[in-house]
Amino acid sequence: MQTDTRVDVFEEIFIVFLALGTLVGVIVVAYTLYNAYKYRDVGADEDEDLPTLGELPTGGKGGRKLFVSFILSAIIVVSLVVWTYGMLLYVEDGPGDNPGDDAVEIDVEGQAFAWIFEYENGVESTNTMYVPADTPVWVNVTSTDVWHAFGIPEERVKADSIPGEYDLTWFIADLPDGEEEIVYEDGIECFELCGAGHSNMKGDLVVMEPDAFDEWLEEEAAALEEDEEDEDDEEGDA
Amino acid sequence: MADDFPPMTSIKRWLVTTNHKDVGILYLATALFFLLFGGILALLFRVQLWSSGGVILSDSAFNQSVTTHGLLMVFWFLSPFAAGFANYFVPLQIGAKDLAFPRLNALSYWFYLFSGLLIGISFFQGGTFEGGWTMYAPLNVPMYTGMEAATGGNTAILALTLFTISITLGTMNFLTTIHRSRAEGMGLWNMPLFTWSWLLTVWMMLFAFAALLAALLLLATDRILLTQYFATDQGSSLLWAHIFWFFGHPEVYIVFFPALGIMFETFQTFTGRRLVGRKWVIIAMVLVAVQSFLVWMHHMYLTTINLEIKTLFMATTIGISLPFDLMVFALIYTMVKGRVRFTTPFLFSLGALVLFILGGITGVFLGAVVLDYEFRGTYWVVAHFHYVMVSGVTALIAGLYYWWPKITGKMYSEALGKLNFAVYFVGFNLLYFPMFLAWETPRRVFHYQEGMEIWHQMATVGAFVFGLSFLIMFYTLGKSLVSGPDAPDNPWQYARTAEWAIPSPPPLENWSGRPSYASGRLEFVDETPAAAPATDGGSPASDGGALTTADAVHGTLDQAHGHGHEEEHADHASIWPFGIGIGMFVFLLGVSGLTPSVAALAEWLDPEWAAEAGISGSVDYLYPAITLAGLAILAYVLFEFGREQFNAPEMAVAERWPFEGVGNTKLGVWFFLASDVVVFGAFIGAYVFMRIYAGWDTWGPVPDHTWAGLLNTYILLTSSFTVILALVMAERGNKKGLIATLGATLLLGLSFMGVKAWEWYDKFLQGDFWFSGLEYSLYYVTTGLHGVHVLLGLFIAVFMLYRIFTIDAYLEDSRPVEFFGLYWHFVDIVWVFLFPLFYLM
Repeated sequence: MQTDTRVDVFEEIFIVFLALGTLVGVIVVAYTLYNAYKYRDVGADEDEDLPTLGELPTGGKGGRKLFVSFILSAIIVVSLVVWTYGMLLYVEDGPGDNPGDDAVEIDVEGQAFAWIFEYENGVESTNTMYVPADTPVWVNVTSTDVWHAFGIPEERVKADSIPGEYDLTWFIADLPDGEEEIVYEDGIECFELCGAGHSNMKGDLVVMEPDAFDEWLEEEAAALEEDEEDEDDEEGDA
Repeated sequence: MADDFPPMTSIKRWLVTTNHKDVGILYLATALFFLLFGGILALLFRVQLWSSGGVILSDSAFNQSVTTHGLLMVFWFLSPFAAGFANYFVPLQIGAKDLAFPRLNALSYWFYLFSGLLIGISFFQGGTFEGGWTMYAPLNVPMYTGMEAATGGNTAILALTLFTISITLGTMNFLTTIHRSRAEGMGLWNMPLFTWSWLLTVWMMLFAFAALLAALLLLATDRILLTQYFATDQGSSLLWAHIFWFFGHPEVYIVFFPALGIMFETFQTFTGRRLVGRKWVIIAMVLVAVQSFLVWMHHMYLTTINLEIKTLFMATTIGISLPFDLMVFALIYTMVKGRVRFTTPFLFSLGALVLFILGGITGVFLGAVVLDYEFRGTYWVVAHFHYVMVSGVTALIAGLYYWWPKITGKMYSEALGKLNFAVYFVGFNLLYFPMFLAWETPRRVFHYQEGMEIWHQMATVGAFVFGLSFLIMFYTLGKSLVSGPDAPDNPWQYARTAEWAIPSPPPLENWSGRPSYASGRLEFVDETPAAAPATDGGSPASDGGALTTADAVHGTLDQAHGHGHEEEHADHASIWPFGIGIGMFVFLLGVSGLTPSVAALAEWLDPEWAAEAGISGSVDYLYPAITLAGLAILAYVLFEFGREQFNAPEMAVAERWPFEGVGNTKLGVWFFLASDVVVFGAFIGAYVFMRIYAGWDTWGPVPDHTWAGLLNTYILLTSSFTVILALVMAERGNKKGLIATLGATLLLGLSFMGVKAWEWYDKFLQGDFWFSGLEYSLYYVTTGLHGVHVLLGLFIAVFMLYRIFTIDAYLEDSRPVEFFGLYWHFVDIVWVFLFPLFYLM
């Protein structure tokens, strides 16, 4: 089964918008400049109804063309945005019928000026996010201090990181064919001014084979337990 | 006073002037200064962005630069520059002699100038505000930077507050002027489009800036008095975002509409055609102005608001973009079959149109929510809004060239002007277009992906080219001033509006006869006493807060008061607006440094709380002393302002729909109250929002004694009654009765404040302070704002009693008593809302 990733959704819409936007932009700007040039002042006859100083303002002729253009542009804009609405619903609902089944959940905390990731089994990592490839990853984003915005441009995912709020969203990371792991250095960025360290509030994204990811999680969990036991021992000694 | 009005070459003239043209020039010059200020900051951070990691600025300096650049350009340049044109040309376009309240207009300007100076000073108080021009919470409160470092940021916030007050005074003034001072025969529908665009701008300002004022007042109390509105993780961030963007989206149209108005004017003039679809363009603009208050949440798509709201705001957002399509096409079709002359102002207007088309198209991308998710916080947004906003700047420059000959009486070199445009247009696109290509860069960072470097370097080069174009502009205009040929009355063929029918520059009193459009064309009616119409008379207008001089009521009432038709003497000079500006400047400068002292006070009052919140301060004597000095200056200058005799004659004959029956001052008071409704609305809205967020029943009423609130309700309602009696006494000319009833109002107001003081003291004894928790902040600040209103009312009442004792004021003209009554009733009505909200629920 082929599921659309956030990257797919974005590309699909962005390209259409870019193509249509460029086309409309070129046509309208060209038509504007064409009119300005074509109707440049050449000192033609004076017997028309020209505006004079002190007249009460009234409108000029050409209303029909105006409405045709207006309605055309309205159709383009409205249909474009309405067309994207289906994609919005898809992004809001997430991929698949049961996002809970094979999905991974990661809690993300923004903190001036670092990202803290907590995985389902309690494992935490700071500034490096580990995710399995080809698996829906649900991120639940919040902040412990000021307003940040968590974003991974490579995966086209973003969520505001606001104290007291939990912004839930998802993405699916791809692995290029033949690769076992890929690291996007500084692939995670903060998109809301959050203080002096905002500019360099970045993290790495590590995309792994799903099995490798599970293995990593277990290793980390084991290491965590050992640490805790060590601490308990130390406390016991003291 | 007009006789000894100093000439333009005298510095004194510029300190005392209240003339709309002088004030317009002051606005234009000051706004250009802040354009340079904001522009130099932009050059600083464009240099910083030359390569990833930065070159010249520290993290904090970079954040200060981008923040202040945004604040200066949006607030201290764009709107005031447009306000300069509006000051100069709106009265001319509608056939008025001046604004309705000339002294208030000068006061607006001085508040504007001094607020800008405060921004400059804030850099030297340990660094200015560095949380972005959107001032998102909770970064906007000093809990992350420390109390001592808060001073510069406080100054910036207070400066913006003063600027907002300046805007509010200006809106009252322009709304009254445009609605009450149009020449005979000029209905609203007939107004030139620049005036139309400005009318809609000030209508939007009236409500939008009131919301901003509320947000800033709450922020200032948080920063200075240590309340908790924006410091919690219980809805603070969203509260700020809602109030700020409720202001912020209309603000986009507020800065763009005047530019649009200039485009309409210049397109008509330089194509020799009337605007196609004029009626529909005006309707489209009105729709935008109304709908602008219903789109704010599209700035918050990623803030956990739900899908239904996103859908709703997506719909309103598309809806508001469509009227602009109509306006753009109207401009394009106006050129068809025209005689397009590529003068400098037309080139800038045409350039503005092209840039606006590109800005509009890239905005449609943001209208699709799915795309907005990805563009949020990136350079796409930066590029898009610069294409829109600076397209507006382009049109404003068109306005500068268009009206320059009228303002200065000098022509400029078209060759230099065209060179200016060429460099400007190239620089603009070199600066902003690469930002679309570098769109994945997050905003306000200087560490970016290496692949983006080339685009950022192009933009930096573009920034310097763009900056150079402004040097060319200043050179062109300077050369024109020094050695330009004299300008004729109307240098532009096919100009239509009234400012071109009088000399360049126009004389002090604007017109040689009374402008009238009664015949369908502009004519000047001879207004010698014998020729004057018999039914109307002019009389002096009072000036806003100064409830001292008389104000005209249209029609026969004046005659009953015995005003004749003799040539009305208009004043053009008052030093007190400047004095009030200085007073506010000193006062706010002092307030900016109070945070450490308040922190020390809080530490003393509640050491446990302070230790837990990590707040400590030390009492400082300098800033409290400056604050007191500011208050003393203010008391003196406000008193003198109120005492001064200042005549601003109301037009004898004017179009006044739909406010024929309301005097100028009364209408001004109504506009003020309308904006105050929004201020209180935002305060009460903040309370309701925060309480719902916390769970309504999480908090009970903060005050302990419901009976005290009820008693105060009765006291205030009784005082509303006595103030009505005062008006009756004044109308009857009964001095003793007036003193008794006004004195009773004063005593009742004092009783109210006494009960309130006792309530607060009682709470303090229990250890419940304004900083103790969010529910306490909400209670103390909301009822405190009301208390401040009562207190201001009491000051006015004392002043009025003094005037009655000394000069038998209001016995012949009771209207100031009525205006005071309106304010007083309003304050009472607010309490009627506050009492159940805070005592019963």
